[in-house]
Amino acid sequence: MSSHRPRIASTTSGMLSSLLEDALDPAYAEAAARRGDAGERDDRKRSQTLSLMIGCLLVAGLLLGIAYTDTRAEAPGSERARLALLADVQRDSARTAELQERLEQLRAEVADAVDAGLVVTEEGRAQSELVQRLEAATGVLAVEGPGLVVTMSDAPPEESVDPVSGESVEVVPEAGLVLDIDLQVVVNALWAAGAEAIAVDGRRLAPTSSIRTAGEAILVDFQPVSSPYVVEAVGNPDLLVPRFAGSETAGRYDAYRQLYGIGFDLARAEQMSLAAATDYDLRYAENTATPTAGPTK
Amino acid sequence: MIPALALALGIVLGLILDPTVPLWLQPYLPIAVVAALDSVFGGVRARLDGIFDAKVFVVSFVSNVLVAALIVFLGDQLGVGAQLSTAVVVVLGIRIFGNAAAIRRHVFRA
Repeated sequence: MSSHRPRIASTTSGMLSSLLEDALDPAYAEAAARRGDAGERDDRKRSQTLSLMIGCLLVAGLLLGIAYTDTRAEAPGSERARLALLADVQRDSARTAELQERLEQLRAEVADAVDAGLVVTEEGRAQSELVQRLEAATGVLAVEGPGLVVTMSDAPPEESVDPVSGESVEVVPEAGLVLDIDLQVVVNALWAAGAEAIAVDGRRLAPTSSIRTAGEAILVDFQPVSSPYVVEAVGNPDLLVPRFAGSETAGRYDAYRQLYGIGFDLARAEQMSLAAATDYDLRYAENTATPTAGPTK
Repeated sequence: MIPALALALGIVLGLILDPTVPLWLQPYLPIAVVAALDSVFGGVRARLDGIFDAKVFVVSFVSNVLVAALIVFLGDQLGVGAQLSTAVVVVLGIRIFGNAAAIRRHVFRA
C-alpha cells in the first residue's frame, strides 16, 4: 500500500481481498506446519479427534436434513392453505351458480303458474300480457331474441417511459380509455333507440342498475366488467340498428374511434339470450286487478 | 470415506426422523446450516490440499456454528438481527464459493 492513501481505505480493501483470496481457514496451514515440526502425534489422540470429526459431520448432515425437511414442511403448509381457499372459492361459486339457476327456474315456474291462472278470463289475459311486458322491461325474466351488439374497448396501449423507473411500459393513453360515462351514454342511447333488454358484459340491466367507476374498474351492479365491453341489446333489429347507428351518440363514438383509437363496433345479432338480472328487490307494488280478482297473497 | 458416510447418514437421519425444530431455535437454523456448509467445504478443500487436520476441522466447525448463532442472537437482541444474518450469510457464502472453486481446480485441474 502506498503511504498517501487514506488508512481506512487500505484496511477495508485488505479485509475484503483477504476474504476473497484466503477462503481456506488459515488454521489448516498452521496445523500442517506444526505437524511438520513436531512429527506424528500418538495414535490414541488421533482416533479421538477422528471420532470427534465424524461426530461433527454427522451433526452437519443432521443440520442439512432438518433444515430441508423444516423448509419443505413449511412451504407446502402455506401452499396447502392457498389451495384449500381456492377450492372453497370454487365450490362456493359453483353453488352460487347452481342456486342462481334454480332461482331462475322457480321464477319461470311462478310466471307460468300465474299465466295459467290468468288466461282463463279475458281480463286475466290482459293482465298476463302486462305482467310479461313489465317483467321483460324490469329484467326479472331472461329474454331471447334478435338485436344489436355494441362492442367498446380501450385504445391499444402505447409505449411510454415510466417517469419513476425509467423503464418503457405499455400504457393506454388516457383519452383512449372507455369510462363509465361512455357505457352509460351508449346504454341510454340503446334504450332510446328502442331496445327492450340490455346486458353489459353479460350482466343484465334492471331499471335500478348502476354503471359506475370504482378506482380503475367499471362496476355494473357492483360486479366488475373489463374491456372489451360487450353491450347486448335485444329489440327489433330493423328498427334498433338504424336508429342507434344514426344517433348522435353513435356518431360521436365513431369520431372518438378515429381520433383516439377507442374500439366501437356495431353488429346485428339474430339470436341472443340475456339472463335475468341477478340483483333486484321489489320496492314498489300496485294492485292493478279489479276487486273481483280478489287479493292475492 | 467414513466422514462422507457420516455426513450422508446425518442427512438421511435428519430426513427420516423429521424432528420438529423448537420455535426459539428457528432463526438460527439457516445460519447454522450455512456455517456447517462452510466448515465442510473448508475441510474438503484442506483434504485436497493435503493439509487436512481433524482437530482444526472439529474446532472450526463447532466455533463456526456457535459464533454464527451468537452473532445472530446478539443482532436479535439489539434489533439488527436480519442485517447481521445477511452479513453472516454473505461472508460465509463468499468463503464457500472460494473453497468450492479451489475444490473444482483440484478435481478438474481447471
